[in-house]
Amino acid sequence: MAGSATRRQKTGTTRGRGAQSAAAGQAGPPLRFNDDPLLWASWLYYEEGLTQGEIAEAMNVSRPTVNSYLADARAAGIVNISIAAERFKSLSVARQLQEHFGLEECLVIPGEGGARSLIDRLGAAGAQALERLVHSGDTVGITWGRTMLAVARAVRRSGLSDLRVVQATGGTTAVIPYTPEACATQLAESLGARCISISAPAIVSSAQARRILLAEPVVSEQISALDAVNRIVFGISSLRPDSTIHQSGFFENSVEQHDHYRRAVGSVAGRFIDAHGSPVEGPLGDRTIGIGLDRLRKVRTRIAVAGGYDKVPAMLAALRGGYASILVTDAATGEGILRADGVQTSAPSAARRARTDRPEIAPRTVIKKFLNAPRDAVSESLDGALRAFPEVIEPIDGSLRAIRSCAAPREGKVGLVIGGGAGHEPCFLGYVGKGLADAVAVGNVFASPPPDRVLTCTRAASAGAGVLYIYGNYTGDVMNFEMAAEMAAADGIDVRTILTTDDVASSPPEQRQGRRGTAGNVFVFKVAGAACDRMYGLDECERLARKANGATFTMGIGLESCSLPETQRPSFQIGADEMEVGIGIHGEPGVLRTGITAADLAVDHICDRLFSEMNLSAGDRVALLVNSLGGTPMMELLIMARRVHERLSARRAVAVRNLVGHYCTSLDMVGASITLMKLDDELLDLLDHPCAGFALSVG
Amino acid sequence: MPPRLVGGADLAHEMAMGRIDTDFLARFFQAAAARLDAQRDELCHLDGEIGDGDHGSSMANGFAAVAALVRGGRHVPEDPAALMREAAAAFLGDVGATVGPLYATAMLDAAKALDRGPLPLDRSPEFLAAMAGGIARRGKAGPGDKTMLDAWLPAVHAAELALREGASVSEAAWRAAASARAGAEATATMIASRGRAARLKERSLGHRDPGAVSAALILEGFAEAVGPRPAGIGA
Repeated sequence: MAGSATRRQKTGTTRGRGAQSAAAGQAGPPLRFNDDPLLWASWLYYEEGLTQGEIAEAMNVSRPTVNSYLADARAAGIVNISIAAERFKSLSVARQLQEHFGLEECLVIPGEGGARSLIDRLGAAGAQALERLVHSGDTVGITWGRTMLAVARAVRRSGLSDLRVVQATGGTTAVIPYTPEACATQLAESLGARCISISAPAIVSSAQARRILLAEPVVSEQISALDAVNRIVFGISSLRPDSTIHQSGFFENSVEQHDHYRRAVGSVAGRFIDAHGSPVEGPLGDRTIGIGLDRLRKVRTRIAVAGGYDKVPAMLAALRGGYASILVTDAATGEGILRADGVQTSAPSAARRARTDRPEIAPRTVIKKFLNAPRDAVSESLDGALRAFPEVIEPIDGSLRAIRSCAAPREGKVGLVIGGGAGHEPCFLGYVGKGLADAVAVGNVFASPPPDRVLTCTRAASAGAGVLYIYGNYTGDVMNFEMAAEMAAADGIDVRTILTTDDVASSPPEQRQGRRGTAGNVFVFKVAGAACDRMYGLDECERLARKANGATFTMGIGLESCSLPETQRPSFQIGADEMEVGIGIHGEPGVLRTGITAADLAVDHICDRLFSEMNLSAGDRVALLVNSLGGTPMMELLIMARRVHERLSARRAVAVRNLVGHYCTSLDMVGASITLMKLDDELLDLLDHPCAGFALSVG
Repeated sequence: MPPRLVGGADLAHEMAMGRIDTDFLARFFQAAAARLDAQRDELCHLDGEIGDGDHGSSMANGFAAVAALVRGGRHVPEDPAALMREAAAAFLGDVGATVGPLYATAMLDAAKALDRGPLPLDRSPEFLAAMAGGIARRGKAGPGDKTMLDAWLPAVHAAELALREGASVSEAAWRAAASARAGAEATATMIASRGRAARLKERSLGHRDPGAVSAALILEGFAEAVGPRPAGIGA
């Protein structure tokens, strides 16, 4: 791999030119090297492609001098040899895996491999390892599975003699292409070896049946070949419900049914291991025909080939148990295994990276806040809002956490109930009022309100025409609001639920319904509130709210963590020069952590994604919300808004309605989100409908 | 469930071994609340790494509300099932959040296990299994999903196994707590597929699930209520 350094190839043409310039026989160095022999030697070696001998001649110095010039040039930083980042990562992960688990060797393939599937690429890498380690006279065992078949197919090695390939377990009648028989047959063919298959099933019906079969001379002879195995290549199976082992039919019955295998996290050669790699004994043990785990561990060369995040617990267990002497995996899985075992996976070069000229600032551990008793923070903020905006909101039955609009309830109007955790102020209570929501249920910081509180709001908002619930799509909110909806139904209130799902970073477009709800809430509340205020029916209000959610797309970037009132510590760590792209409004990590960029580039990152999600075209009209996550000031929001408008104009689209400010925050998080809602006449008309919440008013 | 009709010698034996009655529940709630309160910040921090950072507050406040039901001088219902139902309402009413519905459902299911009166401690796995079953039903998660169930399920299993092997009730309870802790540690090797951490995919590797860690604390509180930790179990 080190050969892939980006050192220039020595081609004939450059050598020719170099030789000519050297032949010109100048007394000193060409002027451009400015009397710097290190630079001159480096140029001739790396750029002109001369040999050290040729350089010695050209510079009129000895060859050892050239050699030391080149070494000094690297030490002085005149020459930087870099290895392509992806390959570098693979090397560093391989080295860490090898050291951490005491492996003889580790081969890690880069994360990105073009069009070929992970299994094919693992197969090719496994084959490469096997080809290098197999010798004449060896007996090679192989287990079964997709990866094993890929290895067997990829092996290209001939010219060895007296080579045998043994099927490591009995066979199966399952209808899969990667049976133990198929894997062994294919490997034998690829190696030009004799194949010894096992003429018995891997799992038989009883311990007695196993004894009888093993007593059969043919089977007994085949099994004895397993004792001679000195190299083995094996796969590692996950026991997750969707894993191959459950779907292949290799075990006739689901392993989970066996109480004994509860502790098992993975399977190797049809045997089960726990998280520490210890064998898990159970009723299948006496019914399994194939290599045992003790015997496997004694094989001289044990090549495990496996990859994929779902296999991390199983692979970690196999490595802890010492089953593999050589591991072949991919960079992402390897890194996952290391992280899962608590190993720091930073690249080793980090220590050697160029020093920054900025002085280190000691990390602050306590975040200053205006608080009395931290656990009173939510109640006191709600109390403040109720006192500051008494013409807009009022408590329901004296409760600070169930709050309704002061606008007189109108018979026959669809009620709108919103809610969620505190910490997002002015969300959600700033969107209660005439033309907006009728009531809001407020939970603790970042925690859903409980069902009884939502029910209180539902009863307050109900005017005989049904109630809409609109809230962000989070596990806790869904459970609590669903329980409330069931209780409301028992009261005879027709409740319809719209989950907001505007955050494009939280899952891919085909899983839109799984996305979380963030600042886009504001537009959805506005549209739904207007529909309710116009006395539309429940079906129509529901339709419009769904339409609004479907047209709304948000993405955020976090620069610094938020901190909870009760801890006053950052919720997560983020480096001085990093930003979290796609961050959620509770500080949930986003899709990507990357180096911080200029504002325009950060906005471009968001715009690229939003524009493509919403198929933004020339002539489109949008509503724009540039929202602070709490700690980012208006000045920076305006800088970002400017860039969004530039990008919109370039697309010949236009933001006809604009909101810039603190609309849906994440406590004191430094960061911002950008929301775009694609407008048609209907949505624009509802956005323009008058409303009067303390955080949003129109007309 | 077989009918609970005990008297005479059986009852005396049962009283000596201990029962899940209201006194026991009071000890359990207070022990769990104390452990959760002591780890409030640590749990918030764990949650901050892969979730939204509220877990420590939600669990500590929720169990504080439950413990307040049985604290000094309050009238406590004689019937343990009724107390469990009050606990469910108190927990849910105080926290909401994600854990509110999960633990409220767990407590309501555990109340059903106590509907025929106090349960002798050698049947404590039934109580713990009811809690775990409620969590699984409400949260729709399974083993290996990197959730609190990865602590609860091994705990139930360990308690069952210990009693089958003839261990004392307190040994069984502490072995359950130790299994819960081991299960919580093992969540670091799992990729979340439920809850907010599910959106992190492989980035959740290496981080323990805060819900599993708090479950281990609750089970330690349960064991503490059963009896002192026998030498040689857990850390």
